Amino acid sequence: MLGIWIGKLVLWVLRLRGRDATSLPGKVALRISPGLIRRFGGKVKRVIAVTGTNGKTTTTALLASMVAEREPVVTNHKGANLAQGIATAFLRSCSWTGRLSADTAVLEIDEATLPAVAPDLPVAVIVVTNVFRDQLDRYGELDGTLAKLLEGIRKTQATLVLNGDDPLCRYLGLRSSRQTIYYGMARGTARSPRREQMRDGQFCLMCGRPLRYEGFWYGQLGLYQCEGCDFVRPHPAFQGELQGGFLRFSEEGLPDLLLDLPVSGLYNAYNVLAAASAARALGLTGDAIHGGLRAYQPPEGRMQRFDLEAPVTLHLIKNPTGCDSVLDTVVSDGRDKVLVIGVNDLAADGRDVSWLWDADFELLAEDPHLTAVVTTGFRAHDVALRLKYAGLAESRIRVQPDLEAALYEGLSHSSATGAAMHALVTYTLLHPAARWLSERRDEHEPQGALYRTSVS
Amino acid sequence: MSRKALCIAHLYPDLLNLYADRGNIAVLRRRLEWRGYEVEVARVTHSEVPDFSRYHLVLLGGGSDREQAIVAEKLRACAPAFRSAVQDGLPVLAICGGYQLLGEYYQLPSGEKVHGIGLVEMVTEASPDGPRLIGNIAVWSDEVGVIVGFENHGGRTRHGHRPLGRVVYGHGNDGVSGHEGLRHLNIWGTYVHGPLLPKNPALADAVLRDALAYAHLPDHLEPLDDRLEREARAAFVSLRMNEVAPMLKEEAGSP
Repeated sequence: MLGIWIGKLVLWVLRLRGRDATSLPGKVALRISPGLIRRFGGKVKRVIAVTGTNGKTTTTALLASMVAEREPVVTNHKGANLAQGIATAFLRSCSWTGRLSADTAVLEIDEATLPAVAPDLPVAVIVVTNVFRDQLDRYGELDGTLAKLLEGIRKTQATLVLNGDDPLCRYLGLRSSRQTIYYGMARGTARSPRREQMRDGQFCLMCGRPLRYEGFWYGQLGLYQCEGCDFVRPHPAFQGELQGGFLRFSEEGLPDLLLDLPVSGLYNAYNVLAAASAARALGLTGDAIHGGLRAYQPPEGRMQRFDLEAPVTLHLIKNPTGCDSVLDTVVSDGRDKVLVIGVNDLAADGRDVSWLWDADFELLAEDPHLTAVVTTGFRAHDVALRLKYAGLAESRIRVQPDLEAALYEGLSHSSATGAAMHALVTYTLLHPAARWLSERRDEHEPQGALYRTSVS
Repeated sequence: MSRKALCIAHLYPDLLNLYADRGNIAVLRRRLEWRGYEVEVARVTHSEVPDFSRYHLVLLGGGSDREQAIVAEKLRACAPAFRSAVQDGLPVLAICGGYQLLGEYYQLPSGEKVHGIGLVEMVTEASPDGPRLIGNIAVWSDEVGVIVGFENHGGRTRHGHRPLGRVVYGHGNDGVSGHEGLRHLNIWGTYVHGPLLPKNPALADAVLRDALAYAHLPDHLEPLDDRLEREARAAFVSLRMNEVAPMLKEEAGSP
């Protein structure tokens, strides 16, 4: 009980100071009551865990929004997906006496945290979005990530909702002997590979032979089939097809749903597909799914837009596949544009910035609308070097390690040239960048008569 | 200016691409192109048999344990040709997993041995109790000065050859000897990735000089404008391992 009080107190104090706490209250509470997550786990009827490499935060928020159409829901905000973030989510939703008004929790859970918290929670469904290489310094290797996920899954009796287009997810499904439902994109929409890209899991995890692909969506997501054994992309129970700004969602025997895409990009279509599939697995109706999508607010850094002197879009980058999706989106923006690329190497970003060299920055060198790039963050110089070897002229690259100065410089440049600005930043630069951009937006809102000098 | 093309083989990029070896290839290619050379990069995938008579430089990158076992099998199949080309002076740049496979074996935590090609007298063993050796690294090499980057390996490597250099920050081959990497014939073996070459242009050029000599081309490389490279090295060192900074200065002062 003491843990709950202290945690609530920290939450309350932070709120008074106008801070949106996502981790600290849980961290403090867990130190006092290490069994806190198990206590809360006993108070809810079901937990839906969302894990995987990319798209966890968006999928969690979408699914929570869909569930919230029907009943109150506990959920963790803004990607705080370690034990302290999960504890904070419960503290946020409980009363001072520790009572919860919700029966359902939709929780984003880090791959390595899953085995630690799974035994404490009544996990009914586990959604795995995809498995890409991410933060190798933390997990060692991709195989380590898969082992963690399997270990976590085995500690539950959950039904799995997996991305069938991802051979690494398929492997989890085959190895875990749990009830498994796959989702995937419609067969005819896969594209043949356009460029030489880094792909993970090109070899069959069951027999080691190469995987042959009929087509790709992105990264290793595609229509795969092993040359040596019967490892093959499963026919998805839930199928998505991109149609302009909509996703056609089909399930055999039910009428198709035409779903709004509140965030654009193929990787976000996957997030909508994952959330809708999990919602269906939970027995939610089409109304709840539609309503949840309408009510959803994109969180920070998922193509968040700011109208300043120039239009600014803020993106989170953190690993090569995610970064490639963002670069694709940026390059397909046909306007003249200025880029600010910020890379930090703190623990939450990943200490190793090797992935910069696996991401397809060559795309930028081919973009005729790109006028300038400002690089920033602790590893601003590494980004500049990456761009130089990607083929960008050095005269177009400016290094400005200070984030605010870099954003200012990018913005001045884009407003002077009538260009749009895209800011691509790693995790620990995301909140400071969003804050600076929102503050600047507030300053630049029309001030009416206040600023008009007297002319009478 | 058209000169004879230099052929760089990237061995098994589909298996050994864990740590941004694409960056190393980009650096090798660009630094030759900026000097007017024609460059061919032969991507030799798992389904092809390498033709060592065609290459002037071979790059072997890093992979995960599982993929490494597949590569080991592929490499053993062509080991005699590979070995004789290397004896004749074919330069090899081998990083992390690729480096381990040049030796006699790599013993996994399970005790199982993945046999390498025995090109050098070297063994690698997993340390079941010890941690992975992870973090930023700086190495002093008498040939090329300070080499900086990132290391991330579970294996401990011991060999009877000259090391690439002395560890001045980080772990190196086995975390205790103070040695990093390996230099033997024209083999450059190392655990430094990050990737290795972008922030170490002197090393990139040294490897390229070996390749040019092996191709019977003049191995004089005109200096390039390495301002961004120098700044990136200096910024990285001052931010993440400032104790190495005096060495960079020393290096700049030397002829």
